[in-house]
Amino acid sequence: MSYAYLFKYIIIGDTGVGKSCLLLQFTDKRFQPVHDLTIGVEFGARMITIDGKQIKLQIWDTAGQEAFRSITRSYYRGAAGALLVYDITRRETFNHLTTWLEDARQHSNSNMVIMLIGNKSDLDSRREVKKEEGEAFAREHGLVFMETSARTAANVEEAFINTAKEIYEKIQEGVFDINNEANGIKIGQQHSPTNPSLPGSGGAAGAANSGCC
Amino acid sequence: MFRSRSWFGGPWGGRPKNRLSLDHLKYLYSILEKNTTVSESNRGLLVESLRCIAEILIWGDQHDSLVFDFFLEKNMLSYFLHIMRQKSGGSSFVCVQLLQTLNILFENIRNETSLYYLLSNNHVNSIMVHKFDFSDEDVMGYYILFLKTLSLKLNTHTIHFFYNEHTNDFPLYTEAIKFFNHPESMVRIAVRTISLNVYKVQNSSMLRFIRDKTAAPYFSNLVWFIGKHILELDTCVRTDIDHQSNQKLSNLVAEHLDHLHYLSDILLLDIKDLNAVLTEHLLHKLFVPLYIFSLTPAPPPPSLALVTQNLAAVLNRNVDIDIQEMHNPRVSSIVALYLLSLVFLVVSHAPLVHALAWVILNGDHSVFKEGAAEILNSYVEHREVVVPGFGEPNESLEQALDTVTGQSSVSSYALSEDSGVESSSPATTEVDAQAEVDAATKLRNITDEEKELLQKSSGSGKADFGELAKPFLDTVLQALDCTENDYLALLSLCLIYAMSHNRGIKNEWFEQVLSKSTRGSFSYKTALIEHLLNIITQSSQPSCRIRLITVEIALELLVTFTKPSSDEARCITTGQQDLLFSARNQSMLVLRNFYKSEDIFLDLFEDEYNEMKKAQLNVEFLCMDSAILLPPTGTPLTGINFTRRLPCGEVEKARRAIRVYFLLRRTCQKFLNERESLLPLTNVVTLVQVDNTLDLNNSDLIACTVVAKDNTKQRRFLVIDALQLILVEPDAKLLGWGVAKFVGFLQDVEVQGDKDDSRCLHITVHRGGVTHNRTPLLSAKFLFDDHIRCMAAKQRLTKGRSKARQKKMYQIAQLIEIPGQMDSPVYAVGGTTAAPSGSSSGSSSRSGHHRPIFSTANRVPGFAAVLRNSNTAGVSRTQMAQNRSIEGIRNESAGRSRRRSPNGTTLRADPSDRDRSPSVSAGSHSSSQSRENSQPRSSGNRSRESSPRMPRPRSEEIPLEDFQHSRNNSPHSRGNASPASRSHTPVRVLQYEISVHSGSPREPSLVGTNALLSQLNGVPLAREVLPVQSSEETSFIGNDATDGGGGSDSRRKGAIETV
Repeated sequence: MSYAYLFKYIIIGDTGVGKSCLLLQFTDKRFQPVHDLTIGVEFGARMITIDGKQIKLQIWDTAGQEAFRSITRSYYRGAAGALLVYDITRRETFNHLTTWLEDARQHSNSNMVIMLIGNKSDLDSRREVKKEEGEAFAREHGLVFMETSARTAANVEEAFINTAKEIYEKIQEGVFDINNEANGIKIGQQHSPTNPSLPGSGGAAGAANSGCC
Repeated sequence: MFRSRSWFGGPWGGRPKNRLSLDHLKYLYSILEKNTTVSESNRGLLVESLRCIAEILIWGDQHDSLVFDFFLEKNMLSYFLHIMRQKSGGSSFVCVQLLQTLNILFENIRNETSLYYLLSNNHVNSIMVHKFDFSDEDVMGYYILFLKTLSLKLNTHTIHFFYNEHTNDFPLYTEAIKFFNHPESMVRIAVRTISLNVYKVQNSSMLRFIRDKTAAPYFSNLVWFIGKHILELDTCVRTDIDHQSNQKLSNLVAEHLDHLHYLSDILLLDIKDLNAVLTEHLLHKLFVPLYIFSLTPAPPPPSLALVTQNLAAVLNRNVDIDIQEMHNPRVSSIVALYLLSLVFLVVSHAPLVHALAWVILNGDHSVFKEGAAEILNSYVEHREVVVPGFGEPNESLEQALDTVTGQSSVSSYALSEDSGVESSSPATTEVDAQAEVDAATKLRNITDEEKELLQKSSGSGKADFGELAKPFLDTVLQALDCTENDYLALLSLCLIYAMSHNRGIKNEWFEQVLSKSTRGSFSYKTALIEHLLNIITQSSQPSCRIRLITVEIALELLVTFTKPSSDEARCITTGQQDLLFSARNQSMLVLRNFYKSEDIFLDLFEDEYNEMKKAQLNVEFLCMDSAILLPPTGTPLTGINFTRRLPCGEVEKARRAIRVYFLLRRTCQKFLNERESLLPLTNVVTLVQVDNTLDLNNSDLIACTVVAKDNTKQRRFLVIDALQLILVEPDAKLLGWGVAKFVGFLQDVEVQGDKDDSRCLHITVHRGGVTHNRTPLLSAKFLFDDHIRCMAAKQRLTKGRSKARQKKMYQIAQLIEIPGQMDSPVYAVGGTTAAPSGSSSGSSSRSGHHRPIFSTANRVPGFAAVLRNSNTAGVSRTQMAQNRSIEGIRNESAGRSRRRSPNGTTLRADPSDRDRSPSVSAGSHSSSQSRENSQPRSSGNRSRESSPRMPRPRSEEIPLEDFQHSRNNSPHSRGNASPASRSHTPVRVLQYEISVHSGSPREPSLVGTNALLSQLNGVPLAREVLPVQSSEETSFIGNDATDGGGGSDSRRKGAIETV
């Protein structure tokens, strides 16, 4: 389980847009999508390879945490990527994107890569939001856009991996400060997979260790 | 091989075909039954089975209730437990799957009864207390998510599955908070979520458990953790004077804000008992001993008295507090002020903020011993006292929680007593009382000592003591001193702002405290207002080191603190008000120095106005910016917002001067109850909008084809209004009318000819503002019928642009009261000395002395006619008549300004000018000279004339049109034009660039900026231009009551009427 980098993702969007299903579909392909059965989970991790490097994606869903201001504000920070998901069969989930995006931009670090996802593309007959609208929104706000289906697994891989690629590029460009864990990127300990203790986790971690553990 | 064999070896005769069925679950059960011991060989099989179980259970929850019945009947959760308890066989791998299965189960279950069944035996609690290998990231993630998922299921019904009243067992909560400072931020966030979800449940016995058994240890550890974090933040601030590790600092600040918001969220849940404990801890373990303590003057060298006192304390075995104070950590006063501001900005829990405000406003050093008891007592009955002091809890949270569940509480509290950690159990009230008495005794001793000291040192009586009675408030007020810089002052202002705007603090109380007179006849409020006025006065000085944001908050606070209690006038003395007004006047004087000194002055001016309008003061946002913790800096390389640093370079100095003036102007208007009538410069109401139908009869229209970037072609008519460029389409119904299809400001127009096609222009209309980083409003190729029309269009656009800008520059001059008629040295704009205006205007015998703004301009003959035809059809004769008379007035003073630069004449067109070729572009001869401008630009001499300086546009300069120089054609320049330039014939300069004459060879110091500027403003004042300005000018000189026409009336000048 050694990796070069760990990228932390968050998934945001209205409830019921299929965030946790997307997550499960990506992190655990063994769950074959079955019609009429939606299974999701709010945390997951998976290894991918970019540019010959092993990269671990760790994804945190934010479901159920909107009630408290302190929680929402901290969530966005500390993520290197965010998937902003709406449901193409429910117009209102698309309409709420602006609010989500505002929140994300306000609280996240400015380098966070945001990908816009129109989910449930398999339900084309019930579509309420045209693909072009999603594209236009993404263009306007500088996001990458993709329509996915957690059910047919269409584009799910691509959505997560493309986001990772973009983060990886930013690292190569030196935009992300990878030594700062608050950015949602951790450098893995390639040669000591059994030791997950965090390298250079800065003061917060140091303080933490003495406090409780 | 192994796997397939076992699948078909089950008691149900092999693997059922249907993956989602009861049969399959039965089959999986058989696998669990057979593989009770995890080994290398069956690991994969178990994981796969556990995964399938999750799937089937969720399917069953929605489709077949028998599935759940079977799951419960066979007690399959106990198998789960059994598996996870095994250490061997790579259990981490299996545990991850187990936890994932559980998560899927609890997250996706919809049927409430299914949930109850799952929770009904104690297995879930057993899983929670299991010590997983938390060093594995995935295990940790799934585990904390498991707890979070369960916490979301909490309500008054389900709480009983998790909290056992009889055994005082609440693993969901106690296990979760053990991770409150886990290095992984997502885990910490989950812990906070879980705790908040728990507190939210309205169950009194559970809450009692939380308060009695966990609140003290949890909160004391939490507060200690926050405190340590702050010490780290302080170190970062102290060591990072050069803004080097800004990222680290901003992360620390954001993290601290997370803590504060978390505490605020707890307090907002309004659970009385919990809040009382939390308030007590925050106040007496963090705010008072660390924040407030840091407001006391820098670490006093241990005075003899203190040493003796400590010695005595040691002898009396009252070591705890005094020794502690000796070693008390402190943060810099910057950090202390900042942190206190944050508290007041985020937290609104009345007892807490009130007590803290009381300490700041009324407290003295005794507070370090007795805390804010007086205030807190009024909020909480039977308060359980925490002795103030910032120190590490002597039990880690984990230890404390372990003791909570195991031993009797008394012992654990007795343990904590001597370090001053709160005792919250009723059983220990005696101890508390003792501590209180101790504290009180000490307090008396100390205050006596201090009093003695005081009297010794000062020798005087009450007054001095009164002064020192509020040492913290004094510190805050002293911090407002900006003589050196505004580093501390900004934070002090933030604190005052935050206190005065906090909802938890009663306003009257705040007022009352401040108005108490403590220093002779001075009230603190008066002192505060004077400090504010001091900042404001200083900020209006040209070379002050006060940031814009500081000025803004100071002004805001001034307004707040002088707010009339009823309908009466503001509580401000005339003297104070005079100070404010003179500050405004001073800022106006400063601004005058920048007027036109940069050629982008107009853009800056409008930009700053929009910025100010857009950005409402938000101190909370400001305080999220860690940059204010570091010493003020000027360089934009730090990425710090302009308002939060000092200006860098001339342009930013101009911006700053503009903004300061705006702020002061706005505040003064508030005090005078005036409305803004001169800003913004563009009156939006009078503008033509897209789709307006316009009467174009008698307007000059130029037909053209607009070719957009994507090669779409549109037939349009080009109309040039006083301020706008308008593209119209003929109206379908009304002859001679047109519908506006596009409008853009002339001042933002950029015109370029086409090398290959003389009928073609490339026109770009920018969005305005200083930074053209956004896509232009319009960027297209304009095709005209022939090259004459093309040239005409070009001229009108370039002239229109200049005129529009000139008009606005005039408005600005009016706004900042540039004394035009007087031969005043005030108009040493940008170091330009007023030079004699041109001796003669060809138009009349009166010499053409004009307001200084136009004085450096040169004019071009002939252009007037074009303009007139095009868009001044509506200018009334009366206006023109007026102009003439005004000119007269104006010109009377002409003779007095002989020192103006030779070319500094702006003249009106005389009738003969109009007859000249309309195709002649404006020649602009600038001759302003600058004393200040110390950066002469080396520039190629592009002019045909031998002008000594040929500045090129800088990148940020607004593109200027290709003026043609036609000095010889201008009779007005005859007297003044440089001899060199006179010999030239008019030439059309078609390239898009600036050519400027330095009309003043005598002034070799002429530099680009001014030259360009005069170029910009050096648009000829043709007769037709004047009407536009005339009435404004009139109103400006309106002191003399020449004309009643207000400046605002005069805005509507165009011939085009909006229908």
